[in-house]
Amino acid sequence: MQISDDTLREIVSRAWQRGADDDHPSFDSVWQAARDRCSTERRRYRGFASVAAIAAAIVIGLNVPSPSDKSPYIEVAELLDTTYWSAPSDVLLPDREFDIYQDMPVLFESTEPAGGTLL
Amino acid sequence: MRDSDALENNPHVSRSALEAIHSQVYGWALSRCDFDHATAEDLMQQAYVELLSGSARFDNKSTLKTFLFSVVQNLARSRFRRISSRLRLVKQYQQESVTDAIEPGVDDAVWRAVRALPARQRDIIELVFCRELTIEQAASVMGVSTGTGRVHYDRAKKALRSRLQDWAEEE
Repeated sequence: MQISDDTLREIVSRAWQRGADDDHPSFDSVWQAARDRCSTERRRYRGFASVAAIAAAIVIGLNVPSPSDKSPYIEVAELLDTTYWSAPSDVLLPDREFDIYQDMPVLFESTEPAGGTLL
Repeated sequence: MRDSDALENNPHVSRSALEAIHSQVYGWALSRCDFDHATAEDLMQQAYVELLSGSARFDNKSTLKTFLFSVVQNLARSRFRRISSRLRLVKQYQQESVTDAIEPGVDDAVWRAVRALPARQRDIIELVFCRELTIEQAASVMGVSTGTGRVHYDRAKKALRSRLQDWAEEE
């Protein structure tokens, strides 16, 4: 004979009730401990937040450029005061250079076909 | 509706409602940590901290009991995740010894038969038979779908039936 669902439930819950441990800490003590822990965590979080804020302020303070530092950008006033100017973008030009008088005629005078067309 | 003793960060939870289900939730916490009272108490404290701080927010979509069971379950799971492999080995050993030690005719043996089930099957049997949750609520506590919960429930009953068949006949 197979055990029915109800019988199984009854057997298990009865066994559980017998074995159940009724010894549990009172709600008040656990609740109070939780509240204490919560406020401690909040205090600790506030401490961390203030330390982080101070650290951030120090880092920002150290990274602020002093007024004496030369600006990497073009100053209009500076340009108007002098006759000399070099474009900051020159540093971005490629290193390779060619002589326009030596190299270009070779290209213009070429009559060699390449892929069915003249160069 | 907001109770007079509702929590600041959890308006749907009141202190009195928590107090009413405290012993049931403690029982669940106890079974989450192999019936170690100190760990269970710590889990309960942690669960209440989650509620007080608002990290775990109850939105009235389930019963408070189901919600709190899930919080305890998740806390226990994350706590034991790091040592889970070691724990699994220990439990496997325990299961083997428990299975061998079942003596038909003794009530305690029924409970040991339940404890010898695989973890999820044991959990759902405990939640449905002993903690009086529905299968849907139990599945929600375990963090699985209702369908998966039903599968675990059916398998658990089947396994328990075969283990307890002789015992029931003697009764």
